[in-house]
Amino acid sequence: MSLIPDARRVELSLLVFSALIGALAFVLSCLAGGEPVAHATRVMAVVGALIVAALLMDLLDDRRDHLLLPLVSVLCCLGVTILWRLGDPGTGQHVAASKQVIWILLGTALMLMTYYGLDDVRSLGRLKYAAGILAVVLLGMTMLWGIEKNGARLWLSLFNFVTFQPTELAKLLMAVFLAGYIADRGELLRRTSASRLGLPTVELRYAAPLLLMVFFCLAIFVLQRDLGAAALFLGLFIAMMYLATGRKGYGVVGIAVFIVGALVAAAVFPHVGDRISIWLNPWADPTGKGYQPLQALFALAAGGVTGSGLGLGMADLIPVAHSDFIFAAVAEELGLLGSIAVLLLYTLISFRAYQIAWSATDRFGALLAAALATIFALQSIIVIGGVLRLIPVTGMTLPFLSYGGTSIVCNFIALGLLMVVARDWMPAGRRPES
Amino acid sequence: MRELSRAIRKLAMVPLAGFLALCLLCGWWQVVRAVRLQADPNNKRTLERPRRVIPGEVYSSDGELVLGAQEEHGKWVRTYPIAEAFCHLTGYNDRSGLTPGLLDALTGQGCYADPWDDLTYGRPVGCDVVLTINARAQRLATRLLRGQRGAVIALDAQTGAILCMASAPTYDPRNVTQSTELFEVFRNDPASPELFRPIQGLYPPGSVLTILTAAATLDAGIVKPDTNFTCGSVEWIAGSQVRCRHSNGYGQLSLTRALADSCNIAFAKLGQQLGPKRFADYVARFHLLDAPKLPFGEGVVQAGRMAEFVGDNAEAELVQTAFGQGKTLVTPYAIAVLTLAIAREGRQLAPYLIEEVHTKRGKVLKRGGATSLGQAVSRQAASDVAGMMVECVETGTGGRLAVQEVSVAGKTGSAQNPQGVPHAWATAFAPAQSPRVVVTVIVENAGAGGVVAAPIVQQVMALLLNK
Repeated sequence: MSLIPDARRVELSLLVFSALIGALAFVLSCLAGGEPVAHATRVMAVVGALIVAALLMDLLDDRRDHLLLPLVSVLCCLGVTILWRLGDPGTGQHVAASKQVIWILLGTALMLMTYYGLDDVRSLGRLKYAAGILAVVLLGMTMLWGIEKNGARLWLSLFNFVTFQPTELAKLLMAVFLAGYIADRGELLRRTSASRLGLPTVELRYAAPLLLMVFFCLAIFVLQRDLGAAALFLGLFIAMMYLATGRKGYGVVGIAVFIVGALVAAAVFPHVGDRISIWLNPWADPTGKGYQPLQALFALAAGGVTGSGLGLGMADLIPVAHSDFIFAAVAEELGLLGSIAVLLLYTLISFRAYQIAWSATDRFGALLAAALATIFALQSIIVIGGVLRLIPVTGMTLPFLSYGGTSIVCNFIALGLLMVVARDWMPAGRRPES
Repeated sequence: MRELSRAIRKLAMVPLAGFLALCLLCGWWQVVRAVRLQADPNNKRTLERPRRVIPGEVYSSDGELVLGAQEEHGKWVRTYPIAEAFCHLTGYNDRSGLTPGLLDALTGQGCYADPWDDLTYGRPVGCDVVLTINARAQRLATRLLRGQRGAVIALDAQTGAILCMASAPTYDPRNVTQSTELFEVFRNDPASPELFRPIQGLYPPGSVLTILTAAATLDAGIVKPDTNFTCGSVEWIAGSQVRCRHSNGYGQLSLTRALADSCNIAFAKLGQQLGPKRFADYVARFHLLDAPKLPFGEGVVQAGRMAEFVGDNAEAELVQTAFGQGKTLVTPYAIAVLTLAIAREGRQLAPYLIEEVHTKRGKVLKRGGATSLGQAVSRQAASDVAGMMVECVETGTGGRLAVQEVSVAGKTGSAQNPQGVPHAWATAFAPAQSPRVVVTVIVENAGAGGVVAAPIVQQVMALLLNK
């Protein structure tokens, strides 16, 4: 035991370190001209809130994950700094950065509430059907009464006061539903699944609720032309089916279904077809439809290895740099070193989440953590892959980095859930008194 | 439970592979493909960057500001302190003149990036560029050409630095971009003021090309300076009628006199003797048709065009080219470089235009220099031609090239052309024994080279030699 350092102290020093990175970023940005005090307050608020959260969670029980918070803290500080550096489109004010800080504070509070409120993660598993139905209802409501922003109908207005993106919340609900259902019926699914002609099959009797729910979500996404969310949900479903049955064939089936689905969607909806043809050749229409992906590529190229330096690049030329294309802004100003550092942060967070999943002591917890890890990793890959032309551009946020209230808050709740799962098997964070 | 955790471990590998692929893709776009993307015509950064950085300025070799920059409402705009004399070098916007070629230096990109300067200035900062151009000579040349169409180019015979590169007519870069109407007028002006004649103008070389014919035949051992020719006033050579400028013909004359007095018939015969293959070989050795390697934008610098010596007319074409007529077209720059090779005893240089690039704090990042192009002709052949050119100034057509107290070697030419009055050519170097400057002048449709072009060469040369 003496070899293991006090995990709490490590976490605290890592959090302080993330604050240092934020502070350095702020110094660099200030050299490019700006308002130092306001931004310092923002970074301090983010890191301070996370440190307070860490201390509060330790009050309850120090058997807790101590790695995720510092990693998330670096991403949040970087996100706020980039938002500050970009300024608000049009006005050049820094309202977006300030708002983002508020979302992070709110998210931290909700993470704490999740952590304190859920004594036993299995109690969440009992709500699986409610969660699933709520997810479908939310998505259905968006389709019917959603508000359009930037050409996509992804927002729902709450009492005409705040708008939020139900997709983000639906992801969490869907993770709960899938984990709960498979924890419950997984054994049946596994035993009744067989392999015919090399392709896995399931007994419809047992898989029906699962398939129905997933089909509903996918149908809604396709009707909303939200290809990214469709890919995310399908990927999640395939991953969960694999965990349930241990058959890799679902991967093949899933990819086939997705490609066929995408081709059909491309043929039916011109919007989707456009996205795909732009992805294949953005140079075909460089000033029109290919403008966004091309400007993102130019930003990447402008960054080179070491980047232009924060505030010294031309990241404001990237369209929607504050949300979908924030990775291009990071890559331009921090270079290849910065972009790989960010990719490493995402890799570490998702790997840690999977680690929590495979170490979990009960089936539901393991499946829930695996689902959350898959959502987190897949969403990061889909968004960054869109910027890097690995896949077509999809309108989604980059977790913890992009501007967006719902995204930040939901990701913090997911973080809380992961820590609840981790609590069951983690060793004590404090070194035992000898 | 154990089975599930094993499945999760395997599942975790999939995103891991995904992130690895993303890292590799980052390297692909940010390093491997970066240069190509930066040069992409759709890249808005190329146009935007000069407006955001503290731009570099351009100076003449004697320290005069040529292309300045000044901040107006948060954006940098260009100023043109010596607008008339330097208009073709500075250009009128980011895409004309030297600016596209110097873009990296002026905007502090690529090898001219200095992160520490960027940081301490608070935004990207460009480098200053010093040209080899002497502002006094450039002003004088521009003034001498005023009212005519033509070009003046002067080289440092020792270093190959371009000391003067003037073109007429000029324009005011501040005015032409004021409105679309003015720009249209500028663009459609029949005198083509936008044309940078020293490197873009293509002209029949006339008798100045006999320098090459003489050097080539001497080098090939076909003739000696005192070899005699007979010149009737009109002769048919290889099926081509050649008319000498002297109406009665020169009768018997040596090669030296032929060059000094510009006898077409002698050189027509020499061309015939040399033959098309060897002639083309010497043209290549003098790099007469090469486009200069100067930092202008794409498609600005022009390569010369030589008549093709093929088919039934091959020999006739060669005979015409040997005394500078026919279909061969060259830039004034090419004639200056030809003269430079003679001045340097046959050692050919590719001249340069950028003296140095330094940061705003004075750290020199790049120094210019000429590149050697090898020996065009033997030392003996070159000095024989130089002697003939001295004779041309002292007793021949180039009398007005003479500079006080200095021995000048020169050659004049009057190139027949379809536009009417001949183009006036003159090219010279001085002092003849240890050459310091080379000056070449063309004035379009102005008459005899010895009368119109020679005095301009003489004045520019006198200024550069401090006489």
